[in-house]
Amino acid sequence: MASLRTTSRLFAASRPLFRPAAFARSYATVEATQNVEPNPSENPKMKTFKVYRWNPDTPAEKPTMQSYQLDLNKTGPMMLDALIRIKNELDPTLTFRRSCREGICGSCAMNIDGVNTLACLCRIPTDEASESRIYPLPHTYVVKDLVPDLTLFYKQYKSIKPYLQRDTPTEDGLEYRQSPEDRKKLDGLYECILCACCSTSCPSYWWNSEEYLGPAILLQSYRWLADSRDERTAERKAALDNNMSVYRCHTILNCTRTCPKGLNPGRAIAETKKMLAA
Amino acid sequence: MDDIPSRTPEVVTNFIRVREVDPRPLHLLSNSVTMASFARPSLLRIATRSPLRQNVGVSQAVAFHASARKQILPPLPQTIEGTMNDPVPVPETKPSQGSYHWTFERAVCVGLIPLSVAPFAAGSLNPVMDAVLCTLLVAHSHIGFEAAIVDYFRPKRVPKTYAFCQWLLRAFTLTTAVGLYEFETNDVGVTEALRRIWNA
Repeated sequence: MASLRTTSRLFAASRPLFRPAAFARSYATVEATQNVEPNPSENPKMKTFKVYRWNPDTPAEKPTMQSYQLDLNKTGPMMLDALIRIKNELDPTLTFRRSCREGICGSCAMNIDGVNTLACLCRIPTDEASESRIYPLPHTYVVKDLVPDLTLFYKQYKSIKPYLQRDTPTEDGLEYRQSPEDRKKLDGLYECILCACCSTSCPSYWWNSEEYLGPAILLQSYRWLADSRDERTAERKAALDNNMSVYRCHTILNCTRTCPKGLNPGRAIAETKKMLAA
Repeated sequence: MDDIPSRTPEVVTNFIRVREVDPRPLHLLSNSVTMASFARPSLLRIATRSPLRQNVGVSQAVAFHASARKQILPPLPQTIEGTMNDPVPVPETKPSQGSYHWTFERAVCVGLIPLSVAPFAAGSLNPVMDAVLCTLLVAHSHIGFEAAIVDYFRPKRVPKTYAFCQWLLRAFTLTTAVGLYEFETNDVGVTEALRRIWNA
């Protein structure tokens, strides 16, 4: 098939056989955007979504809120469904991260109606009169539209060495085992998907994100402190024992309130403080 | 690949400055891989670029920084230290500012509860109890205000303001301590004063 096409192109008179070295090629074009549902159902339930827009290609333009109207009868139940529908059918320039659409990847973390949550786990309020407002995670550098820059977050995660550190092998040379009780200590910690909802909801992290680690990273840190198989507890504790890394937590508990997975970073930080004090 | 800048506003303006002299698309500028650049419209662009277009980058950059500065503190650096693959530096271990400090703070908090209840519950006035209560109160408020200063005036961002606030707090704490001492020795003391206000 490919060879046929080449041959036919060779003989096609409409195109030059050899292209000039520097030929003009325009950028990919984007369809004209629209803001209203293109083909609503018979009794449409029109809901307005206001979405934060900022384009790095035109940095001089201030961020704006763009409103889109969707027919809820033709939209899935979750906010992510609405966003995907907006991108597919109304405005292909809308940018957001998403992957698993079932709350396990943490990509679609954003601020929806004032609460940091995962768009895929957040139901669209069926009240048509009120509009939904969607922002990127607060106090993050925005890459584009709803995409925050999580570089610092990941660098902080790396700094706590989030892996098992152990020197002594097991007696039988098999895997490192632990008792069911010790395993139970990790429940509520290992489920964290690092979506950054809690960290970006924390006022202390808003102020001191360069030095304070934030609830998500501290929960992960405690996950390794609590692990009975890890042998570097002392080093891990020493790394946290200063006035910034942990102790900027003032038990505001926005983290626990906002966690889309229902975890409790506030408790993990409290346990960390108890471990450090002991 | 470790020199990819994070898309902070500062970096974005740098991109604009680069674009003034080099109109290639961003993805060609940001890495060193030389794709077949003759296939790109760079040559044509340079040839057909108008003088007006050359100034677009400058005006954009100026406009970007022209928004009103209504913030109290200087803006954050808007850059992230180190490359993407470096962890953030781990601070020095200082238990006196960390775990010991926290334990002390909690002990003072817990100690204040019985001390502020006991004199009224027992109905007796003990100058030693009063002295301990006043000491703990001063320590408690000092630690509390210090936490607020550390939270809002980081030495990294505003070293002078931080030092000023710290010394101001020390002066206030000292004044309070001296005042309470005078009140305890030359007057009726805190508990008795509270009792009289309560019964007045």
